[in-house]
Amino acid sequence: MYQSFIGLEIHIQLLTQTKIFCGCRAAFGDEPNSNVCPVCMGYPGVLPALNQQAMHMAYLVAHALNCTLAPQTGFDRKNYFYPDLPKNYQISQFAAPLGTDGYLDVEFHRKKKRVRIHEVHLEEDAGKMIHAGDMSLLDYNRAGTPLLEIVTEPDMEIGEEAEMLLQQFRRLVRYLGVCDGNMEEGSLRCDANVSINRRGEGLGRKVEIKNMNSSRFVRKALNYEIARQQEILDRGGTVVQETRLWNENRDLTETMRVKESANDYRYFPEPDLPPFNADGAFLAAVEADLVELPAARKERFMRDYALSEPQADFLSDEKPLADYYEDAVLQGADPAAAAGWLAGDVRKMLNRYNTALTESPLSVQRFAGLLMLLAEGRIHGKIAKQTLEAIFTEDKEPELIIREKGWEQITDSARLQTYVDEVLAEQARVVEQINSGDARPLGFLVGQVMRRTSGRAEPQLVTALLKQSLGLEIVHVLSFGGAISGTRGDDGLIVPGDLRDLKDIIDQEVSTRIRFEEVQLGRFLSEEITPADWATLIDAVNTRLHTGDASGIVIAHGTDTLAYTASLLYWFFADSTVPIVLTASAVPWEPISERAQSGSEAVRNLRAAVERATSNVPGVHVVYGEQDLSPINLKFERIGAESPDLPGPFRNWNQSTPVYRGRPVVEGPLELDLAGLTERLERTIGSIYVAKIYPGMRGDALIALINAGVRYFILELFDTGTASLRETPFSLKQAFAYGAERGVRFFCTSQQEGIVDFSEYVTGHELWKEGAIPMGTLTTETVYTRLIASLIASDDESEVLRRMEEAL
Amino acid sequence: MESYWKSVLSAESSRAAYQSAVTARNQQLGAFLEFDPERGAAVSAEHCLEAVNRGQRAGDNPPDSALATVERLPFAVKDNIAVDTFSLTCGSRMLERFRSPYSATAVARLCAAGATVVGKTNMDEFGMGSATENSALAQTHNPFDRSRVAGGSSGGSAVAVAAGMVPFALGSDTGGSIRQPAAFCGVYGLKPTYGSVSRYGLVAYASSLEGIGVLASSVDLTEAVFQVMRGQDEMDHSSLATPAELVGASSVAQTGTRVGVLTGDLGLDDQVAAGYQRSIEVLQQLGYRFERVELPTLEYCVPAYYTIAAAEASANLARYNGVRYGLRPDYAENPEELVRAAREQGFGPEVKLRILLGTYVLRSGFQDQYYLRAQKIRTAIRNDLTRIFQSVDLLFMPVFPVQAFGHGAEGLSPFQQKLADRFTSTANLSGLPALALPMGLENGLPLGMQLMAPAFHEHRLFQVARVLEEELPPPVPPQYPPLWQSHTVPE
Amino acid sequence: MNIDELLLTAELAQLELTESESVALAEAVSQMVDYFARMQEVDVDGLPPTTHALLTENRLRPDTVRESTLADNLLESAPDVEDRFVVIPNVL
Repeated sequence: MYQSFIGLEIHIQLLTQTKIFCGCRAAFGDEPNSNVCPVCMGYPGVLPALNQQAMHMAYLVAHALNCTLAPQTGFDRKNYFYPDLPKNYQISQFAAPLGTDGYLDVEFHRKKKRVRIHEVHLEEDAGKMIHAGDMSLLDYNRAGTPLLEIVTEPDMEIGEEAEMLLQQFRRLVRYLGVCDGNMEEGSLRCDANVSINRRGEGLGRKVEIKNMNSSRFVRKALNYEIARQQEILDRGGTVVQETRLWNENRDLTETMRVKESANDYRYFPEPDLPPFNADGAFLAAVEADLVELPAARKERFMRDYALSEPQADFLSDEKPLADYYEDAVLQGADPAAAAGWLAGDVRKMLNRYNTALTESPLSVQRFAGLLMLLAEGRIHGKIAKQTLEAIFTEDKEPELIIREKGWEQITDSARLQTYVDEVLAEQARVVEQINSGDARPLGFLVGQVMRRTSGRAEPQLVTALLKQSLGLEIVHVLSFGGAISGTRGDDGLIVPGDLRDLKDIIDQEVSTRIRFEEVQLGRFLSEEITPADWATLIDAVNTRLHTGDASGIVIAHGTDTLAYTASLLYWFFADSTVPIVLTASAVPWEPISERAQSGSEAVRNLRAAVERATSNVPGVHVVYGEQDLSPINLKFERIGAESPDLPGPFRNWNQSTPVYRGRPVVEGPLELDLAGLTERLERTIGSIYVAKIYPGMRGDALIALINAGVRYFILELFDTGTASLRETPFSLKQAFAYGAERGVRFFCTSQQEGIVDFSEYVTGHELWKEGAIPMGTLTTETVYTRLIASLIASDDESEVLRRMEEAL
Repeated sequence: MESYWKSVLSAESSRAAYQSAVTARNQQLGAFLEFDPERGAAVSAEHCLEAVNRGQRAGDNPPDSALATVERLPFAVKDNIAVDTFSLTCGSRMLERFRSPYSATAVARLCAAGATVVGKTNMDEFGMGSATENSALAQTHNPFDRSRVAGGSSGGSAVAVAAGMVPFALGSDTGGSIRQPAAFCGVYGLKPTYGSVSRYGLVAYASSLEGIGVLASSVDLTEAVFQVMRGQDEMDHSSLATPAELVGASSVAQTGTRVGVLTGDLGLDDQVAAGYQRSIEVLQQLGYRFERVELPTLEYCVPAYYTIAAAEASANLARYNGVRYGLRPDYAENPEELVRAAREQGFGPEVKLRILLGTYVLRSGFQDQYYLRAQKIRTAIRNDLTRIFQSVDLLFMPVFPVQAFGHGAEGLSPFQQKLADRFTSTANLSGLPALALPMGLENGLPLGMQLMAPAFHEHRLFQVARVLEEELPPPVPPQYPPLWQSHTVPE
Repeated sequence: MNIDELLLTAELAQLELTESESVALAEAVSQMVDYFARMQEVDVDGLPPTTHALLTENRLRPDTVRESTLADNLLESAPDVEDRFVVIPNVL
């Protein structure tokens, strides 16, 4: 087994006004050779004059990278000839780099790693040489731009890690305001060195890779190079120590020819610049500019504002957004609401108007003001969205907008009650219909009240007032197959059925306030669920949530696939304000006696589910026996129904406190109709295969599946994520390689409870290197449905991956 | 004399007479590579104040007397110091047709004070030589004997002053390049404290050793020019302000000044040895106290000096590649060929030698043995001098072991010339100021000695030199009497 | 110093030497290098190198733009210019 070592050399152009050694503008995109002077053109007789700000920024970065800061530093000349290097030596740092022995922490696929920083040093950039036919064109505008080089130790192993480090580093320097981090334009550049060796034998022969112009290319080039070197070693060959260039058109690295002699840089101290002493005042100024860094800020957001990790991630990613958010909170915006709006509606508006937040009409004051209007109940959600839009189109204060448009909400219940009373009096026939048990027209009544208030009433409040006036609580009970709806036939076998009989029993028991509305979705056993059935269920839940009359939704389900459906619904409706409660029963209701009926499991569970559905606890729940379980990480482990003393057959894995509510994968209103949803689900599920690893499993079985069109595997591995990767037919190694070439993804879960992070065993580590994605604490069922939801919600592959990673 | 120089450029008639006289003398002596007072007048008017503002001096402003002294004086500038629109050949084919787009800070400060550049003087290519024979562009002769060299590398500047063509000239001193030609030609030659005069605009040969200095016909003028030029410059981060306690230090004669002299076999030829003894006697008669001092590192000065100078030169001269300016070969297929051809055709043999030498001593595997060791020896030399200056105020030394020697094969071999830098390179390795002063004639040729002082103590040099000047005024070459004696100018 | 060392050094310095030049230069360089050998006699133990004799104080320039008014002049000095680019031959 091989071990790979990747070290990076990162160059960033510092965002100073002027070049490092002269007063020329450090700017891009100007006419060729316009930002030049005798100094940066290397004229005879000129001397370098060190830019204070470049030094400041350089120390700032070194500090942020946890380096030891050199108390005394200086510059050296690095001698080599190249037409774009005006003096034919580069003023750089060699003997005493300004920062040494730092680190940056990265995390890739749940593997945390501290990448050590060897050194940070400041130098001048060269000009640009463009090849054109039989000549080369030289532009010295860039010559002398301050360049900071960061050299890492060879602490990374795979391209993905290097990509992650680069992205994190980019975020860091943008945060510090010292570099715009644009790889395409070359303000952030990255070279790498790669070596591989047999595990435990230390570094191998180093190959340098250049010409990687994006973090994606860095990943691809490094993974290509590791594979190339591995193949050489496999054949018994030796890797040539050389410099190779990434060819982005051919997706491979190629030898770059360089002369041997060109490598003696003959460094010596730059006589034109005195040594630099980082004195107290200088270091204090650096310290003062050391802003809170992204990782720390994210942690603090989660802690102080109770944000979820994805929310904190999103908000802390760019400093301007993070500052905006905190500013808004400081001005009175609710932290949770502000986070939600920024990630949702505000982001949509910015995209629509193609503008940056800080340049948009939505100032922090306006944003905070809008959220406060919402929080104070002066406007409701729908009006708030309209107001947000008006801020963008009319560039006015939210206060002014709602006043001008008369959008201020009617919050006075007493005043609203008069409208409700008026409507109820007017619509006697409808009221009668409702009183006779058909609750469907409630939505109509809500609409009538809204019309009377010109939309200024809060619909939920109107619904509540109407229900109160009508003495109505509506729980929709959806029958979704399974034994709970089934019956036991004469032969003793359970057959599908509907809930009709059960409903009658519950109906008699429950208080008259509650009205059932049973919706028959299917007559099948839960093991018979098809994608179309799921589509019907999702559609039904979605419709009921949006008519706004439901106090709760109960889904009577089978036991076998409950874990799947529950988590699927969670990924669709995790933010539901209306309780969605799934329940099941191992055995059908059997009409033996009155007493037995009301005590039977099916009756008990359905009753408990209805109670939960009317309890106003939002989110998605699973009720079974005495337990209120979380819909994710649900495991169907044991049939315990025979004895009421035993805990139920369901349990949540890896959960200390149950999760009912959160951020759904599919956000906002569902845009697909039933037919569309059915089609999407069928297609999506067709590209997924769930496989349990077992001794003797053949790798070529997976290859056959890939050939049959499978693009996503969910592999249920052993323990913390292990599987056989030995060179035998029973290894997954071939399949991984085959899949990687075809863009196939492997999401990994465990057959045991616990965390899959590939941390414990070499085999797990190898899986991680092969590109398998550890799904942490999530169960196979939960990951499977998360993947379905992610595929439906995403427009492209990277979005799918992002959504899958966000689950962790 | 003063009134002549102050008015020579102001009237059309005197300027024309001056121009033709200089042209005539230059034809015999080869001091100037370019002589163009009108161009110089334009430079003063247009560019210098701006350049001075750009190079804002920190502290130690020149006294009014110094500004008054240099005002309206014509002066010559060694052709490795930038003067806007003038040539900046450095005596090299590489820059034969190059014109400077800017002026050196030192030049700009003089022009801003009202002095006028009249031309650029010949020199050893890039300052590498002791006879101005390494110029690729002209031959320069000693005005006392044209069969002899003027010294170098600032030979052109020394001749221009000695032959009365200008009252003062700027030179550069990397290992003795001002003091040695000054001694050969019988003029004053100041190598100031390292960094006290901005190097901005001085084409770099050995950056940590060299500086711009003055060659002049009198001590007062030497001092005034130095005072106008000196002071920190924001274009040169190796420039230094005079320490506060020494700003305005007086050069008034003080009794009891202690002067250190070297003893033992100094390797001088008979004339110079005799001259050194005679000079010491003169100074003793004037009341100076002499103390014998030991400089054990003296014999390591030359190897250390050449190691460091060559190393720095190898980098400093890398910029000449025919790409952005300078000599471009007629034909080349690719950048590497272009660069090699430009350097092959553009550089003379001495320059190539020093580039090779410098590249070699910096190569990995050799660097510790040569370059690093030389830098440590440099520390030892500085320590020696620090010790010496605890017991004496000044150090009195020969400049060169011989007087002006003959051209070509008649003179010293390049290697011998290098060995002879032992007395001058000491000041460059340590950064200390030194002044070459004429000590009369010996065999019809000027004899020069030098005084060295602690850093920023130039005033001590001028103090002693002024006393000596009365006893031993600078010699005048018989064939080149002052211009005001050879042609008339309107008063 | 032998010719190979000289040529390698010349390569680093981008100097092309004719055959006669290399012979003469090899001799002159050797003479100097031999002479430098006497530096080995000095006991330099414990002595720090002097890199900047008198320079001890920090020098920094404020980050303020000085307009590049000389840009056009500088291009005039270039031997070959096209569309403001400095041009050099590069036949592939």
